[in-house]
Amino acid sequence: MEEVTVNVIDLNQCDEDFIKQLIELGAEELKECIQCGKCASTCPMALAGLEFFIKRIIHAATLGLRDILIEDPSVWACQSCNRCVEICPMDVKPYEIIQAVRRAAVRVEACPASTYEGLRNLYRFGHAVFPKGFEERRKKAGLPEKPPTALSFDELRKKYQEVLKQTILEEIAPFPLD
Amino acid sequence: MAKIGVYVCHCGENIAGAVNIEEVVKYSQTLPDVVVVKNYVFMCSDPGQDLIKQDIKDGLVDRVVVAACTPRTHEPIFRDAVEAAGLNRYFLEMANIRDQDSWAHWHDKSGATEKAKRLIKSAVAKVRLAEPLYDRYGDVEKSVMVVGGGVAGMFAALDLANMGLKVYLVERQPSIGGNMIKLDKTFPTMDCSACILTPKMVEVAQHPNIELITYAEVDEVKGYVGNFDIRVRKKARYIDWDKCTGCGVCTQICPARVPNEYNFGMDQRRAAYIEFPQAVPKKAVIDAPNCLYFKSLKKTGKPACEICKKGIPPKGIQGCPADAIKFDDKDEYVTLKVGAVILATGYKVMDKTHFKEYSPHSPDVVTAMEFERILSATGPTEGELKRPSDGTKPKTIAFISCVGSRDERYHSYCSKVCCMYMFKHARILKEKYPDIKLYLFFIDVRTAGKDFEEFYVYTKQLGVKVIRGGRVSAVDVKPNGKLRVRGFDVDLCSPVELEADMVVLATAIEPPEGTEELGRLFAATCGREGFLREVHTKLYPVETAAKGVFIAGCVQGPKDIPESIAQSRAAAAAAAALVIPGKIKFEAIISEVDRDKCSSCGVCVPLCPYNAIRLEEYKGKDKAKIEPALCAGCGVCASACPSRAIVFHGYTTEQILAQIEALTEV
Amino acid sequence: MKKIGLFLGCNIPFNRPDVEYSIRYLLNELGVEIVELEGATCCPAFGSMPSLDVVGWATASAWNLTIAEEKGVDIITGCGSCYGSLNEAKYHMDKHPEIKEQVNKILSTVGKEYKGTSKVWNVINYLYEEIGLDNLKAKIKYNLNGLKCAVQTGCHNLWPSKAYPTNEDNTFNPTRMREICEALGGVAPHYSTITDCCGMGALRSQASAKSLALFKKKLDVIKEEIDPDVCITGCNSCLMQFDAGQALLIEQKKLNYKIPALHIAQLVAIALGADVEKATALATIPLNGVITKIKGGN
Repeated sequence: MEEVTVNVIDLNQCDEDFIKQLIELGAEELKECIQCGKCASTCPMALAGLEFFIKRIIHAATLGLRDILIEDPSVWACQSCNRCVEICPMDVKPYEIIQAVRRAAVRVEACPASTYEGLRNLYRFGHAVFPKGFEERRKKAGLPEKPPTALSFDELRKKYQEVLKQTILEEIAPFPLD
Repeated sequence: MAKIGVYVCHCGENIAGAVNIEEVVKYSQTLPDVVVVKNYVFMCSDPGQDLIKQDIKDGLVDRVVVAACTPRTHEPIFRDAVEAAGLNRYFLEMANIRDQDSWAHWHDKSGATEKAKRLIKSAVAKVRLAEPLYDRYGDVEKSVMVVGGGVAGMFAALDLANMGLKVYLVERQPSIGGNMIKLDKTFPTMDCSACILTPKMVEVAQHPNIELITYAEVDEVKGYVGNFDIRVRKKARYIDWDKCTGCGVCTQICPARVPNEYNFGMDQRRAAYIEFPQAVPKKAVIDAPNCLYFKSLKKTGKPACEICKKGIPPKGIQGCPADAIKFDDKDEYVTLKVGAVILATGYKVMDKTHFKEYSPHSPDVVTAMEFERILSATGPTEGELKRPSDGTKPKTIAFISCVGSRDERYHSYCSKVCCMYMFKHARILKEKYPDIKLYLFFIDVRTAGKDFEEFYVYTKQLGVKVIRGGRVSAVDVKPNGKLRVRGFDVDLCSPVELEADMVVLATAIEPPEGTEELGRLFAATCGREGFLREVHTKLYPVETAAKGVFIAGCVQGPKDIPESIAQSRAAAAAAAALVIPGKIKFEAIISEVDRDKCSSCGVCVPLCPYNAIRLEEYKGKDKAKIEPALCAGCGVCASACPSRAIVFHGYTTEQILAQIEALTEV
Repeated sequence: MKKIGLFLGCNIPFNRPDVEYSIRYLLNELGVEIVELEGATCCPAFGSMPSLDVVGWATASAWNLTIAEEKGVDIITGCGSCYGSLNEAKYHMDKHPEIKEQVNKILSTVGKEYKGTSKVWNVINYLYEEIGLDNLKAKIKYNLNGLKCAVQTGCHNLWPSKAYPTNEDNTFNPTRMREICEALGGVAPHYSTITDCCGMGALRSQASAKSLALFKKKLDVIKEEIDPDVCITGCNSCLMQFDAGQALLIEQKKLNYKIPALHIAQLVAIALGADVEKATALATIPLNGVITKIKGGN
């Protein structure tokens, strides 16, 4: 049976440390937001009907509602379209706040499986997007099976992995970096 | 040896909340020459002042340091107290341990306490070296100049004139009336703007004490409070106003057409024009850059058109019947002597072109000020509601608030009047066209003001749709010419969109062009947003940093008509209080040249913002001399003098060095 | 001879290599030497390193940028995400020396250094500014013959404009792609949702049905307002939504019309005489009508 709960948000949950963490993770202008709603009227997440979209995410972030933000997967559906950044009258850079929430979430392993898959592909092949059957598709377009990217150069790919190992990926990846 | 008394104020909790008073008192007792240290909850109160007075009268102290708030507001009070007890009023120093300490460092008590000690130490170091100084008195010219002939300037001029003072009212445009005369109706009473303003315009023009100088600008300002010499440039009108009867013949026969500024370019006027039908004075001017006579004179050396003067005889069209056309007119300069000035140059509204997300290229997207003209009977459509693009009557109109206001990219402030005039527009339209569909998009509805909330509720009852909580993000033009508006409705918690025939943007109120330059002419300063700044938001709302220069109306910040008028009448009262007594006190804090030390380099002369310094012969050489009446005590010359020949009384080099030493001593 | 580093990214070489073919073809035809960026990787995509931290993001981008810098060339990409991610990373590093310093500390361990000397172009702006419409016109083999195009510049090609070296005069009313289509002999009217998001990207992977619904809303407006022969995208992700995404909507019986779609690089390549088979090899919605109209007109 579906769990039924009442629709009340407990404001005592407000976690100032979470706000600080978001600011450190890139939400530098978070507190500038006056909730004018300009971003919400154009955000693809809002238009597509996601429960949590840019305006609400920012408000929840300014209130420090950590659990709500971390548990809700909406931030991972942000298109990164940056229209919000372009139009924000207070220069809050809403998209950076979405990214900050994502960054906080991955630190507690609260992200969709596809995020890890992309990171694994990025590390292994140099390509976060790495769909099967590309050789066949490239042939159809009259191109060599492999593009001249890191995929074709083992030495360079190893170097790239060396580079990635020195980034935050080293701490966060739930797969071995060897 | 000085006997210094230090008086530490708690300012209630303002200071005591962040500064450990007891510790500061103990510390102050250790400072050189300090003989008495007292503290009190409100040192500026009568019992507080009595503490100081008593100690002076008892002969305990002969120099006073008050560690309290800002000298800006409180120094005069304590100077009076010191003087009343028999000391020279300049034997007082204030240590500002509130504004510059407890308020700034409220979160750091030990830091604030340490800073308070330093500030007191510095004040003690300065007052030890204080010399007795004496105030001076000068005469005041009993006249006032008001710059700006909008509603604020007009009311200020009328009040002053009714007090019997001579008033010069200077206006940049050919007519007075300002922005208000362009409005259709006014909230919250829905008076017709022109109906209530034109009688006042006539009253101004006819008042025997008011000299109206329109189509003119302030060109140069000399002098100082009580004795300003202001040069005004009366722009060439090319029409002799003594002869012009305002008949309008020239404005009908002139062949040169140009966008009409009065209607924001939505229609055209001629190069010879009367600004608007109810203009005061009702006189025509010729706009030389657009006049064919001047254009061809410039190009070919010969005038091509003199129709306004001579008419077109073959067609039986007569030229100016008053023979007032004067192509050889020149700019004219007049210098006026006044005791005080009121700056009331108003505002302008932002242009729509800044807002690329709102399809500014569409003629059906207009600013609210343009919309006022569309609604007005004297506007481009003679009051008929028409879409600028195709002249059809719009069925659905969207109004967008906070366009350029509450916006870090343009203006962080709230323009204050937009919410209300959006409702006003809605009400005008709904009462005239009950079937029209109106959608008002707000971030939030701000209707604080007498009778404003009632106005909002009434307008809503007319069927106007109010969308709150979402600043509009986009206006897009559809191929059929309609406009899609996208917003967010916080009450529905959903993005919303609307197809409208017209969009009205409530663009921000801005300082008019040239405000900073105008301020500079008078030595009045502008705030961060470019409006002229009052000395103190609460206590001195109409005074500027320049003594004798007052401000009124929107040039000080966005406000509505009632507020503008209230402020202008306050400015009139403040200016009258200054000039009517006929005498003015000048503080003793001024600079003086030790001519034996002066090297005649002349560096100080151009630096002085008040033109108070000139070189004058002394012992066979040109030496700097400061005119005490002109010196405002800014200290620029003293800090620039390479020979240290200038003494800045009240802030001598020795005093400043002693302060720095006290502040920086480890 | 002009030179440019071709940045492939992931989606173009693996999902729509016909776009890669087209970019290669048009650069050759326009006399631009393609410099291969050997060892280049993912830009990185917004859901990968950018979602971990700024330094990690900038480091992964800088890896790619330095390859172009070492070869002394600018970069061109046909993918909006690559254009966005590379430029934004550049913006972070160029604006914040401390980020650049941390990135270079990491890169130095493999003998690399980010300097910031290579510009990142998208196909639209490169054609518009570096090639020029007149030059482009002069090289056309097949005139578009009045082909009616609905253009989709794509979010990442427009915003955040402060991170981009060049851009439209008004990013909310973009005209460069319309002008390119018109220079080729097509017509490209404005429509009211021209800057709307197509729905591709994270939304598509996290909430597929919602993403497609958003796309359908846009497509319906395009159909209603201009009823074009073809949709032309400036971004490879948009192309995938307009083509394969549209096919999905048709398959789900949510759409009762179809509008073929091409990347601007494909359209230009075809006009310049590219092998249509290769240039449109991976298209899902048939392009027969579009090709006939172009080739029929000559």
